Amino acid sequence: MTTASPEAMAPGPAAAGASASRSPSSLFWSRLRRKRLAMLSLVVIAVIYGGGILAPVLAPYSFTEQNLDRGLEGPSREHWLGTDRLGRDMYSRTLYSARTTLVVSVAVLVSGSLLIGNGLGLLAGYRGGWVDNLIMRAGEVLSALPGLPMLILVNAALGPRIIQFGGWVEQHTPFGGIAGPFSSYLTVFGVLSLFFWVGTARLVRAQVLQLREREFVLAAQALGGGTIHILWQHLLPNVAFLVVLQLSATLGSVAGSEVALTWFGVGVQPPTPSFGAMIFEGSGARTFAQHPHLLLVPGLCVSALLFAFALLGDAINDVIRGR
Amino acid sequence: MRRQNRLLAILLGVLAALVLIVGGLSAVLLLNGGPSGGGQQAGGGTSSSGALQLSGGDPITMDPHLAGDSGSAEYIVEVFSGLMTIDPKLNVVPDLAESYKVSEDGKTYTFTLRDNATFHNGRKVEAKDVKCSIERAASKKLGSSTASAYLNDILGATEVFRGTSEQMSGIDVVDRRTIKISIDAAKPYFLAKLSFPTAFVVDCDQVQANPKNWTRQPNGTGPYKLKEWRLGERIVLEANDKFYAGVPKLAQTVYSFSGGSAFTRFQNKELDVASISVNDIDAVRDRNNPLNKMYHVDGEFSISYIAFNTTVPPFDDVNVRRALGFAIDRAKITDVTFNRMLVPATGILPPEMPAFTPADKALPFNPAEAKKALAASKYAGKMPPIEFTEIGGGAEGRTDTQAFIEQWKQVLGIDVRIRQTDAATFYADTDAGKLQMFNAGWIMDYPDPENVLDLKFYSKSQLNDIRYSNPKVDLALEQARVERDPAKRIRLYQEVEAQVLSDAPWLPLYFAQSHTVVSAAVKGWFNPPMVIPRLRFVTVER
Amino acid sequence: MTGYVVRRLMWMPVVLFIVSFLTFAIARFGPGDPVAVAAGQIRDQEVLQRIREERGLDGPMVQQYLRWVNRAVRGDFGESFIQRGYSVRELLVPKMWISAQLNILSIVIVFAVGIPLGLMSAWFQGRWLDPFIISALLFLSSIPVLVVLPPLQWLLAIQFNLLPVGGWDGLFAIWWIGDVVAIPIPDPHLYLPLLVLTVPGFAGVARLVRVTALQVSTEDYVRTARSKGLPESAVALRHVLPNSLLPLVTVVGLSLADILSGAYFVETLLGIPGIGSFTFESVRSRDYDVILATTLIVGMFFIVMNLITDLAYARIDPRIRLGTGART
Repeated sequence: MTTASPEAMAPGPAAAGASASRSPSSLFWSRLRRKRLAMLSLVVIAVIYGGGILAPVLAPYSFTEQNLDRGLEGPSREHWLGTDRLGRDMYSRTLYSARTTLVVSVAVLVSGSLLIGNGLGLLAGYRGGWVDNLIMRAGEVLSALPGLPMLILVNAALGPRIIQFGGWVEQHTPFGGIAGPFSSYLTVFGVLSLFFWVGTARLVRAQVLQLREREFVLAAQALGGGTIHILWQHLLPNVAFLVVLQLSATLGSVAGSEVALTWFGVGVQPPTPSFGAMIFEGSGARTFAQHPHLLLVPGLCVSALLFAFALLGDAINDVIRGR
Repeated sequence: MRRQNRLLAILLGVLAALVLIVGGLSAVLLLNGGPSGGGQQAGGGTSSSGALQLSGGDPITMDPHLAGDSGSAEYIVEVFSGLMTIDPKLNVVPDLAESYKVSEDGKTYTFTLRDNATFHNGRKVEAKDVKCSIERAASKKLGSSTASAYLNDILGATEVFRGTSEQMSGIDVVDRRTIKISIDAAKPYFLAKLSFPTAFVVDCDQVQANPKNWTRQPNGTGPYKLKEWRLGERIVLEANDKFYAGVPKLAQTVYSFSGGSAFTRFQNKELDVASISVNDIDAVRDRNNPLNKMYHVDGEFSISYIAFNTTVPPFDDVNVRRALGFAIDRAKITDVTFNRMLVPATGILPPEMPAFTPADKALPFNPAEAKKALAASKYAGKMPPIEFTEIGGGAEGRTDTQAFIEQWKQVLGIDVRIRQTDAATFYADTDAGKLQMFNAGWIMDYPDPENVLDLKFYSKSQLNDIRYSNPKVDLALEQARVERDPAKRIRLYQEVEAQVLSDAPWLPLYFAQSHTVVSAAVKGWFNPPMVIPRLRFVTVER
Repeated sequence: MTGYVVRRLMWMPVVLFIVSFLTFAIARFGPGDPVAVAAGQIRDQEVLQRIREERGLDGPMVQQYLRWVNRAVRGDFGESFIQRGYSVRELLVPKMWISAQLNILSIVIVFAVGIPLGLMSAWFQGRWLDPFIISALLFLSSIPVLVVLPPLQWLLAIQFNLLPVGGWDGLFAIWWIGDVVAIPIPDPHLYLPLLVLTVPGFAGVARLVRVTALQVSTEDYVRTARSKGLPESAVALRHVLPNSLLPLVTVVGLSLADILSGAYFVETLLGIPGIGSFTFESVRSRDYDVILATTLIVGMFFIVMNLITDLAYARIDPRIRLGTGART
């Protein structure tokens, strides 16, 4: 997972290094490796995601195991990060929450919200005319709907049906254990991508609108290049910096939106542990004053993950444009 | 090149414009004595002259006939009043009525109104106002959801309710100060029902003149007038100097709704009374803390419980219900999750409620008993999936719920799944009888066991949302309704309570308590177990 | 140009129609209704049914929707189901106004701080200040509001008692000097929400400005300007700066379009009676008419702001042709 994300971005935008004999992605890698901050970010991401993957091995306790006699303890030898109100081990819960974040990130990549936004933005900007009109007006309708309230409504309306479906999947397919708790989250994120492609598309389109009058595009058109060819070969590399900024932001923001959505009760459903749920338990100024570890442990993990993604995105951005 | 400069100019212009707009509009607001200026003055100017500062929230309605929630009732009982009220000692006493007489058969009540009872605008309260108010409350047009529960004992109420009649045959205006109310059976709790806002008196002329908005400036009869209600900001109540039972000593009460922890605002001297959250309770309980002297704990007529739908598998089997009850350690969980801020329920009737007994009658924590009960059930070994629904605002189940689920798993090996919904979904599903088991609560509106036992466990009661039905319980409840010997009546309710606890359609969890700090300047403050008028008993000395 | 605007404006009702219909359908599709929520613990089904009939909640959905549209086009958004006796308009206007004040202020601050930081960062490219600024801002924007608010509240409001824990008291407070001179100062309730609303936004603006500035500085016309021997500062001021702000127009437009929808977390956590927390409550209690009106007003505002943004964009950069559709 950790290494997959930069590689996935590499093929398209790496056109900057067309002269080299090495493949664009290996060139990209060698440049990225020289960025110390980027490497550090990768390590942070790897640690958090790795902790998630290895949670069943690393966690000393089960994430539901309660010990009512030992609630709200600070860090100790038995409980490295302390315990929550019900005496559950915070360290174990953190590991399992990282696991949740990981699964959710995969879900978002699968749902393809990135492709939609960038693809439609390019197309709209380049083709103009009715294509542009259609895409932008559709975007207008979607972005004119307030996202979060809509999500809550959709969740209330479809939630029970989806949970039923998740239960069915769990019983009849090999996806047991994942499908159940995450089925509602997958839907929520599906809906979310429907709403959120618009911003990306508008940014990309605005840039393409500028570019499409440029000599190199006009030249390619004169040479009889097809739409796809021009989009892919000429326009995409030139909006790559926007795409990449969006990409890194999106990847990181998955972790962020998990927190937000779960906090509003439309994200990961209990009892699956998640950073959102943990932050929810620890929020409130008074709770923080009394038991800061409840908020700090998940809060720092999420912040570190988000920061790492932001730095990484920045570094990739620099690398792609050859600096 | 000029183009670019123009862009810069445009951007800067937009920014400047925004600043101007915001600044300008705010200045206008400020000059007009908008929220900021006015608020400051109201707060500062009155606190010195003996006003009480409380925290609160918007009432759903100020219409006493429509209000069914305690949040609205909090204000309504101060602004309005009815024939009867409940005094601080929880006795049902006459209020607008000076006295009343009950007929021999217990079915007719004759009330004599106070001679000095007036509306806030000075108009005398007459018998016709009482009649008109009760008829309005029950009218089909108003559509009050509390009306049938609180007024249906009166003869002719159903006709008014269904819209076949405008007049209630059971209400007779004898003369200007005398009104006679006839009910369908000798029900000793009828007077208590009259103390609920549904039976309060409103100014029918005002209602008629402005049917939609009269509640903004209601012309009530209560000890306080609604001086100001700014939605989402505050409510100001001002003493009614014509109040029939004497001018209230406290001149003004300001309920402010704005955010932040009430306890912090109490410490900042912005509030005179504040409730305490689970995070601050230890500090306040500490005897060395000066706040400890201001700390009050009082019981409330409110119970939290786990409800089982007794017609849905596996809870159609009493043994499963009992097994789940034996498997949870309420005392321990109250300790841990609520830091002893709630009392483990000893039964269904809370302390101070007639028929309450201090003995713990709820199913005790007993893993062996729990396993035995489960083994005796017809679902032993083939337990269907169980979903436990609760109203939830966020990511996690209620902390206690999570603890219960863990205990059921450990003691009984039963996996219970939590489902959190919003209130709308929850009500729709409970009313449709769709839920297997759910977390719920009940707040008692008047001090009579009928208000919970009959309403929630009588098989034909509309509010029996768990489809509980036990002929023995039904019979006892029917007898208790008309039993005129108080001692016997209480015994009947105690029998009902014991039977229900044994059938375990509810697992009683906690009785609520109010935990408050009250500033030393406030004298005579008390936290009643239910909403009753109290501001006029309070004074503020600064 | 005029034709384009007219076409867009004509399109507006269609968008609003679709938006309101989607909202209506989604809201009604879910279980539960506001009538039961408003009733509370004593829910007399007979009465609830009667209220539903009276308020037109029974009958075919399409008919209900059309009835709503019919009222809405005449400016009547109905009455709240929960806050009885209050029209939707009365409920929404003050809350939207509070949210708008807060949001406009924070947008102004975000751009006023973000743009200079971004330009500064680009100017110092290759030196330590550039990565320093950007990483610092990135870090600040990486902490979720939900994580940063409780510690801030604790520190500023409880521990040091500098600010109120939450709430709203208008934009200005009066600072009296000896009961004679009144100086309006920003209300102390503002600082905490503004802090958490603006700081995470700096990074986005600064980064966008920086990236565009660096890109612009390699463009032909900038190189031409440089080769003409203009001093670097003049190049930066006359060529790089204005062009760097171009992509910001979209961002400004997008953020302005959002000012009416409120900030959910901040308003909820800080107890600010704005439209964000209110929308959340209305959605949870299915206050249909409130939800629909909110969506419609926010949507309309959004569309208008969008149009203005596009027009501004076209005015600024004439290379962009609006709505000339005849390309293959």
